[in-house]
Amino acid sequence: MLYLLSQTIDQAATRHPDAEAVCCAGQRMSYGELVMRANQLAHLLREQGVRRGDRVGLLMNKRLEAVVALYGIMKAGAAYVPLDPNAPVARIAFIVQDGGIRHLLTENAKAKAVQEMLNMGVSLHSVVGVDSQVEPRVACFSWDDVVAAPHHEPVVGVIEQDLAYILYTSGSTGVPKGVMHTHRSALSWAEIAAQTYGLHANDRVSNHAPFHFDLSTLDLFSTAVAGATMVIIPEMYTKLPASLSKLIEDEQMTVLYTVPFALIQLLLHGALDKRDLHRVRWVLFGGEPFPPKHLRALMAALPAARFCNVYGPTEVNGCTYYMIPASLPETDEPLPIGGTYGNAEALVVDAHDAPVAPGDVGELLIRSPTMMRGYWQRPDLDAKAFYHRPVFGHHVDVFHRTGDLVRERPEGGFDFLGRKDRQIKTRGYRVELDEVEAALLQHDDVEAAAVYGVPDEHGSQHIEAAVIGRPPALLEETVLVQHAKKLLPSYAVPERIKILDTFPRTSTGKIDRLALRAKALEGKDQHEEANKPPA
Amino acid sequence: MKSQLRQYIQETLLENGAPHAVQDDENLLGSGLVDSVGMMSLVLFIEETFGVAVPPEDVTIEHFLSIDTIATYLEARVAA
Repeated sequence: MLYLLSQTIDQAATRHPDAEAVCCAGQRMSYGELVMRANQLAHLLREQGVRRGDRVGLLMNKRLEAVVALYGIMKAGAAYVPLDPNAPVARIAFIVQDGGIRHLLTENAKAKAVQEMLNMGVSLHSVVGVDSQVEPRVACFSWDDVVAAPHHEPVVGVIEQDLAYILYTSGSTGVPKGVMHTHRSALSWAEIAAQTYGLHANDRVSNHAPFHFDLSTLDLFSTAVAGATMVIIPEMYTKLPASLSKLIEDEQMTVLYTVPFALIQLLLHGALDKRDLHRVRWVLFGGEPFPPKHLRALMAALPAARFCNVYGPTEVNGCTYYMIPASLPETDEPLPIGGTYGNAEALVVDAHDAPVAPGDVGELLIRSPTMMRGYWQRPDLDAKAFYHRPVFGHHVDVFHRTGDLVRERPEGGFDFLGRKDRQIKTRGYRVELDEVEAALLQHDDVEAAAVYGVPDEHGSQHIEAAVIGRPPALLEETVLVQHAKKLLPSYAVPERIKILDTFPRTSTGKIDRLALRAKALEGKDQHEEANKPPA
Repeated sequence: MKSQLRQYIQETLLENGAPHAVQDDENLLGSGLVDSVGMMSLVLFIEETFGVAVPPEDVTIEHFLSIDTIATYLEARVAA
């Protein structure tokens, strides 16, 4: 029986050592080699003092070594913490410090960022993946050093309830929060997804999401459960849909999993009529709603594929799914998120945690083995994130409060209706608007800030903001954008920041963000009108 | 041609955000410089400014990696 994530590759390597585990930009690695390299890395990390429960950072662009790294970290008994390589260094440094990370897996291209972090006062014991010494007080190792370590599996005494990884996500108080997953919660999801989509050893599964994004766990671990191949899509390909579609064809991918935004780009700009994508048998999407008109067009372009809406916050991995019917009704009604997987229980409750009547709107609570352990060192957040249902006298069933508002459909399954709070999805990325406001307010000249999502033409939404300056300062949008870029990942930086003298207020005196959003939409229409070519 | 491309990329796509002057041989697609929406608006800009049609299947890494590769591609398109 598998009980650790790293056992997925051990099992695959025992069965088919030469089978291709992962490929990236033409480089390929077999399961046998992946296990060997991960074991070697684990030995090196153990020698540097890494022990069960430690957190080890992963600061790398997508490449084969990143996969070796995350398995090596887990084989050393530690939890991997993937860091967004494109995030501002200050944000990466925050996570490294918050997570108590003392060891970092990286690459030469990131040596400068590591150096900057050290200059900011981050303290590291070891750095693996660099060819030269970053700093005298930090033990530095290259990938060649890793290859010199022993091949066998180190004994680390980890069990399934121990931490496997921590994914940092936007936090409403202004700093990111770490979602802790155990080997059990992650493996449960990997197995459920592999079974639901019938993954097998011949599948070639895309890896579109970066490793700090929760969609990547299906790519990594469901693929390994099935002994299939994960095809890493390098960042460059995610920006040019016609190259992405070529890669899907050339690499003979059979399963695609990404956010609707990327699939819509693929549909509109991917030259799909020029590609042979008949091998694609599954298109899985999640992260935000997929506008049905685009989905219908994509289904027509990929007639051999089945489609599935995969729903679940990072905290519970996947929890519901909706198999898209072969003929999607010709309406623009949002797609359902479907019902739970077999091994999960859903409740829909009102503001007092009382179950709502069937068909009424309420918050979705989920109990499943795929659920996180909690937030890293944030008891305040844990207190709000879980609902405890008494059972057997003094015991409790633990549910995660998703914060998502849903309504049960008459035929079963749920419709997603929005959020209880101010979290939004922008092109699949999860952002707490309050975190963006907090970032703007950190600027000395900002008196007040309001941040809101504005629907865009890509079926998603982007972030805009309005601020009031602190007199006598004269604020400039470019300065504020630069400021935000130092604190936030690029997808969370407002596309526009309006400088206002006052904010519209509601009757109770609160900032009327809906009015600001409506104004932004109005402005956008006028802008588009003005840019239209004369008829 | 290159100077127009450089100016558009620098001033419109990297608006508010260029940490440095973009070089002609710099990889535009790496490290979060230009995103996918930015690349699509660059294609529109090229079509309008240089009066050439850029079919979707040509918008690839090979042709759009850098200002240099875009210029090489466009010269071939204009000559064709």
